[in-house]
Amino acid sequence: MTCKKCKTANGYMLGKGGKRKFDEHEDGLEGKIVSPSDGPSKVSYTLQRQTIFNISLMKLYNHRPLTEPSLQKTVLINNMLRRIQEELKQEGSLRPAFPASSPPADPLGSSYREAPPAFSHPAPAPCELGGAAPLEACLTPASLLEDDQDTFCTSPAAQPAAPARLAPPALPPEKDSFSSALDEIEELCPTSTSMEAAEATTDDPKGDSGGPGAQRPEGLQDGRPDDPKLMDSLPGNFEITTSTGFLTDLTLDDILFADIDTSMYDFDPCTSASGTSSKMSPVSADDLLKTLAPYSSQPVAPSQPFKMDLTELDHIMEVLVGS
Amino acid sequence: MTSSSGTTGIGRHFEKGKKKYGGGGGGGGRAEVLGRQQRGGRLVRPPPPRRPAAPGCAPADRPWQEPEAAAALRAATTCSGVSRRSRGPWTRTWRKNHKLVNCFCCLTADVISTVEFSHSGDLLATGDKGGRVVIFQREQENKSRPHSRGEYNVYSTFQSHEPEFDYLKSLEIEEKINKIRWLPQQGAARFLLSTNDKTIKLWKISERDKRAEGYNLKDEDGRLRDPLRITALRVPILKPMDLMVEASPRRVFANAHTYHINSISVNSDHETYLSADDLRINLWHLEITDRSFNIVDIKPANMEELTEVITAAEFHPHQCNVLVYSSSKGTIRLCDMRSSALCDRHSKFFEEPEDPSSRSFFSEIISSVSDVKFSHSGRYMMTRDYLSVKVWDLNMESRPVETHQVHEYLRSKLCSLYENDCIFDKFECCWNGSDSAIMTGSYNNFFRMFDRTTWRDVTLEASRENSKPRASLKPRRVCAGGKRKKDEVSVDSLDFSKKILHTAWHPVENIIAVAATNNLYIFQDKAN
Repeated sequence: MTCKKCKTANGYMLGKGGKRKFDEHEDGLEGKIVSPSDGPSKVSYTLQRQTIFNISLMKLYNHRPLTEPSLQKTVLINNMLRRIQEELKQEGSLRPAFPASSPPADPLGSSYREAPPAFSHPAPAPCELGGAAPLEACLTPASLLEDDQDTFCTSPAAQPAAPARLAPPALPPEKDSFSSALDEIEELCPTSTSMEAAEATTDDPKGDSGGPGAQRPEGLQDGRPDDPKLMDSLPGNFEITTSTGFLTDLTLDDILFADIDTSMYDFDPCTSASGTSSKMSPVSADDLLKTLAPYSSQPVAPSQPFKMDLTELDHIMEVLVGS
Repeated sequence: MTSSSGTTGIGRHFEKGKKKYGGGGGGGGRAEVLGRQQRGGRLVRPPPPRRPAAPGCAPADRPWQEPEAAAALRAATTCSGVSRRSRGPWTRTWRKNHKLVNCFCCLTADVISTVEFSHSGDLLATGDKGGRVVIFQREQENKSRPHSRGEYNVYSTFQSHEPEFDYLKSLEIEEKINKIRWLPQQGAARFLLSTNDKTIKLWKISERDKRAEGYNLKDEDGRLRDPLRITALRVPILKPMDLMVEASPRRVFANAHTYHINSISVNSDHETYLSADDLRINLWHLEITDRSFNIVDIKPANMEELTEVITAAEFHPHQCNVLVYSSSKGTIRLCDMRSSALCDRHSKFFEEPEDPSSRSFFSEIISSVSDVKFSHSGRYMMTRDYLSVKVWDLNMESRPVETHQVHEYLRSKLCSLYENDCIFDKFECCWNGSDSAIMTGSYNNFFRMFDRTTWRDVTLEASRENSKPRASLKPRRVCAGGKRKKDEVSVDSLDFSKKILHTAWHPVENIIAVAATNNLYIFQDKAN
């Protein structure tokens, strides 16, 4: 792995006291959600998916080995990206059917009724809302989403709402979940930070990077305009990559010289951490050094995942906001 | 192959600071000859004094190093000087009426990348990341040392492959040995196939214990004699000498694979073998190196449509026309070479329908088959995916007849494992001689054994630190969640850099070889 963050996680799991996190989840839940007994944790699913998407892109683009990369690994990662892309496309295609009204007063509640129809992912019973408490809790998207036991990899029996999910519901679609996800993160991140992060995104193939950024403050309650750009940008990026034929016999030079700017996906904790505003004050120089130091056999201190979570969060935000 | 000694891969290893070993010969091109002293292990001469005073057996001369802990604990040794643990005090309990004894543990200079017993089980070959092959031989039974039987000592070491550079793609070709397969023994010499990503080589390992003396045209030290000075003719006499083991490359099968070779398999006709890379499977004749037949090709016309690759392939142990290959999507295809020249259409298709309740983002990745092995009987085959081992009946394609969970507790950690690339680890699996048990590796230097008849399984650990002399180790347990009991290992404290990918089981007896990164462990089952 070229990313130091990932190097840290290479030998050891990011073991955290699961109990503690669960408690913080609880606090976050009670603080943020009106009805904890809501349906599927749509937001965390979206967050998971986005995280995996980012990780996959990172693997494909940041890997510059001396030897040929493993074709099997490349194919599997590519399949993952394709699947996520198709999911997003399908969700995006449902959008025109919905009224262009403002999202309900409880953005969180509306998001849980939707689930990606393509993937038929059964809903978890408790909505643990992994994305709701990112800063106070230890939010490392990867391991956090795993402690979010029910949503992630093993799913309990399908909920009664599952069959209804396949038909396009009359409720606002995934874009609201995007906006609500953004809302949640917004509530916890200072607005100026998110604005900076949005403006810090350097690349958008469609050239409307200013749009989401400028609309950010107003877009909190009406995230729909952001989503088309986000939606289009992701498949667009992906199509560009496939059209360069990185699966051909040629090396990754094609991608390296392709017309895409991968700096957005350059998840270097150094640059991203330094790019955040002063509001992210917990990210001190010490924390930075801790991340950069090679991992030791000691159990991970709570501050360490916390530090890495912030950078991860920042990256996710950048992508969510749209490039 | 054309390199001379001193400029070979061995020289490169010197530069990297690795230990050199004595003996003559260069690298790939010339035969590797190890003198008895360096090779060690035979009982022709009396046992040397205990180490570290053993002459000529200094550890600096060989790439194999004695683990320090074992050196302190070792009791009487034999002459090998090669790192070897004392036997007896180390026991591992497997079944109640059996003890698994650690009879060998050695530290190598490089990460072991493949382990394979010969067909008779008396030789054990290992390949490492540095392109070297080390062969161990089992000790013969000796009356004076009744406990010596079953120990494996270094028999031969040679540099099989060297790093190359692909100038067209500007990429290095690793010298790592991906697979070793023995040929069935047909004479005094032994043959094996070793392969890296691109090239397969057939090596001949032969013993020489006699030397001819009394040549007419040259002296004993090899200098040519002046023909004019020769006054009498003599017949050379064969005299015994210290046993020497030579390894010489007999065939080189190169330039047939665009992608990385992941499997080789010798056919039951003993004349042909297959080599499989990510997209193609080629059939070779052992005598012919300049051509091979392509029997499977799954490369799509448009590479952007590629969604599936070949991950492993093997010939049927008895039917020379049948082969199977597994894919990254969790499917296994059985092909009959009699049906057509190009076996793109399978004869049988094995796939287990996905369990919708356990579906996740990573379902496809964890279903990718990393190894496929026929049973010795030829009736079953075993596949290893990321979390489980499945036994298939060749007559039933719809689902496996057995599924054994290897480390189900990792299912909730798949995202982290995806992030640190552990989810792409390729574990191997193996059958025992009677097909009644199967074994595979896991993380934290754990390996798992499943008894198919009693349906019992055990988790064991291949490590020196946790072993006390004369104590039987309990099987290990991993605590998935909740309260951790004493002696249990919690999932969060597993070391994912210590993975056991390669294991091998003796074809007849209950002897197993387990490769844990740099260490090779050989465990023997001692019936009480």
